Amino acid sequence: MAYAYLFKYIIIGDTGVGKSCLLLQFTDKRFQPVHDLTIGVEFGARMITIDGKQIKLQIWDTAGQEAFRSITRSYYRGAAGALLVYDITRRDTFNHLTTWLEDARQHSNSNMVIMLIGNKSDLESRREVKKEEGEAFAREHGLVFMETSAKTAANVEEAFINTAKEIYEKIQEGVFDINNEANGIKIGPQHSTAGGASGAGGAGAGGAAGGGCC
Amino acid sequence: MATSDSEDFESADEGHGSPDKKERKKRLSSSNYSDNALETEQKASNTPKKSSNVKNVEEIPKETDGWDDFDIDDNEPAPTPAPAKSNVQNQNKTIEDKPSNVKESKKSQDTGWDDFEDWGEEDTSSNVQKPEPKPVQSKPQPAQSQKPEPNIQEVTDRLAAASTGGGGWGWGWSVDSLLSTATAGISTITSQVSQGISTVLETGIGAPDPEELARRSVKTNETKTDRPAPAQEADKRPETGSEQEASAGDAAFPFGSLLSGVTKFVETTGTKVIHGGLDTLETIGKKTMEVLQDGDPGLAKKRAMLGLGAGDKPVLSQVLREAKAKAEEEDKVREEKREAKEVHYENLFDDFEGLVHLEALEMLSRQVSMRIEERIRSVDVEKRQDIKETLQQVAELCEMPEEDDDDEESPSEDLSKPDAFHERLQTATQDLGLKLQFLPLVKQYTDVLAYLSSPDADSVKSVYKRGVSSLAQGTALSVEQYHKAAEMLLVKTRRSTADEADALTQMTVVLTKHISELATLFTEKLNALPSDNKEQVNTYITNIFLEAGNSSTYIQNAFQLALPILQIGAV
Repeated sequence: MAYAYLFKYIIIGDTGVGKSCLLLQFTDKRFQPVHDLTIGVEFGARMITIDGKQIKLQIWDTAGQEAFRSITRSYYRGAAGALLVYDITRRDTFNHLTTWLEDARQHSNSNMVIMLIGNKSDLESRREVKKEEGEAFAREHGLVFMETSAKTAANVEEAFINTAKEIYEKIQEGVFDINNEANGIKIGPQHSTAGGASGAGGAGAGGAAGGGCC
Repeated sequence: MATSDSEDFESADEGHGSPDKKERKKRLSSSNYSDNALETEQKASNTPKKSSNVKNVEEIPKETDGWDDFDIDDNEPAPTPAPAKSNVQNQNKTIEDKPSNVKESKKSQDTGWDDFEDWGEEDTSSNVQKPEPKPVQSKPQPAQSQKPEPNIQEVTDRLAAASTGGGGWGWGWSVDSLLSTATAGISTITSQVSQGISTVLETGIGAPDPEELARRSVKTNETKTDRPAPAQEADKRPETGSEQEASAGDAAFPFGSLLSGVTKFVETTGTKVIHGGLDTLETIGKKTMEVLQDGDPGLAKKRAMLGLGAGDKPVLSQVLREAKAKAEEEDKVREEKREAKEVHYENLFDDFEGLVHLEALEMLSRQVSMRIEERIRSVDVEKRQDIKETLQQVAELCEMPEEDDDDEESPSEDLSKPDAFHERLQTATQDLGLKLQFLPLVKQYTDVLAYLSSPDADSVKSVYKRGVSSLAQGTALSVEQYHKAAEMLLVKTRRSTADEADALTQMTVVLTKHISELATLFTEKLNALPSDNKEQVNTYITNIFLEAGNSSTYIQNAFQLALPILQIGAV
């Protein structure tokens, strides 16, 4: 309900890599083996706590199908974080990463935190993409990397929360201007009433004080 | 803290020769002690084997010093004379008593360490001379212990036998058995010490106030003064062993393992004491807080009246109570706010994802509008006019019809209200060429109808809350339809703008009618409910209609946002 910040996330990647399943696991803590094809974009939201602050993650789960590419691109704008997902059992989904990354970088703000996710880590026997390859790709493009399983919930929580932590750090560092909603960050109702004018400076000071007490 | 202590232990282990930092840490008395130790060594220098044993003995007290430091730093002991006195009584004991005192002192963590330590050092100095006559005295020693255990008897007997025997084989046997006895003795000591510690912890924990605490600690000390006796006895075993070995000859090497056993035991007990001490402190702190918070509420006021708590010093309990009261008040305010938020339409609309669908639709709309403008700019001037006319025509198609007189072809009577609603939606959008999912809307309608006819809808307030929430949800689900329709239209390969525009217009009519239907249902229910506060009911009814108007506005805005998506299909 009441939150200090709202972060907008987008989940992108080829169709069938498990984007919607990751979202469902994160928001509802359940797994659906059969999922309808996502049309355009679907939404999910969850509250998390970072540094003692309530943060609402508003997740835009985009359609992976090629047909929706032009539409989903228009949703990239104003995202603070992106989960770029591939399927470790399908090499083509890994091969398409460069295109997805270019797309994301082109249509979003430059500060967007991108987390690379190799999903379906439970299907070890069918693995086609080595973990090292994912790590190498992430290193090369300056992404954070993680292998997850939406089925077993392994690393799912971490993927979403670590991204949020990185965004939060960027806010503290002043990289993100939280008053510009194009950055995908909204200040919660508590903050705006407390003193909207103080803006980033005020929020930064609050964050520092919070860190001190912990 | 702990690490520095363990360092001390290590250095104690390493060698006797190095007067390490522990020595520096010591006070005057300790320098006394080390001098004496040196003396002993000199005296014993005639028999080198013996001196090595004396060194071993000397090391044990060193460990003690490590403990002393720890205790002084951390536990801030409240000196109680009792244990000190008991120690003085024991003073006549020989040097072997030293380790037993170590244990004793460990048991009485919170007792007078200072006194004790001082005594310990002096004692050592006074006793150091004694080892000389010792071998002769070895027999009377067991007599000193109050309750000579069979073990001790056995050991001393063996020792006596050994000293008379004097044969090489005999010695070997004696040393072996001595070692095993010594090990057994140490384990007894360890268990006794840890028992002692746990006793201290247990008695220390439940302390409700300082007086009680003090009383208890005195009690513990009393029990402790009794306790040392067996510990000392047990202690004598290894010590007697050392004496014996000193005279035995080449026994220095096996004795090393005994030494490491002792050090290890001190180390493990050390960690126990550290953990135990911290736990105790934590528990006492927590308990104190509890007592301060829950205790006699009149006390602080009384104190304030008597001027006891006056002065500049704030009374902790009062501060805590004020903080508690403040927190309670804040909770109340927050609760009220939460309640207000519960019936706050915009928040509910956001919770039902209406806002985010609207936002996404806006993004699409803006994007498409830009594409339309680009297209206009990219064509010839004459063609531009054509495009603009087309755009205008589509916009006109999407104008909401004037209040429709024909009450529409009312669906067959045998359909339930939700099913009729579903059918109207499907009829309205049949020319759209898309498969929209109306089921969530239909289900929500079913739920509302079920609620209104259920016994749950018995209070004006809850019906009002549900009313606002239902309107917000219905609107959110409606907005989602426009968003989905827009997305699907954009990926549709064959567009028929006129049909699409008409379909969406019809859908808008159905949806806005649905919203006013919901509002009517809730206001009727509010009117039907018995209430002694008619004014409140009227306010609620007004609010419901207000929010219904709000809902219709959201829906029509969503429809207008979809307009460019319809238009782009025509140009």
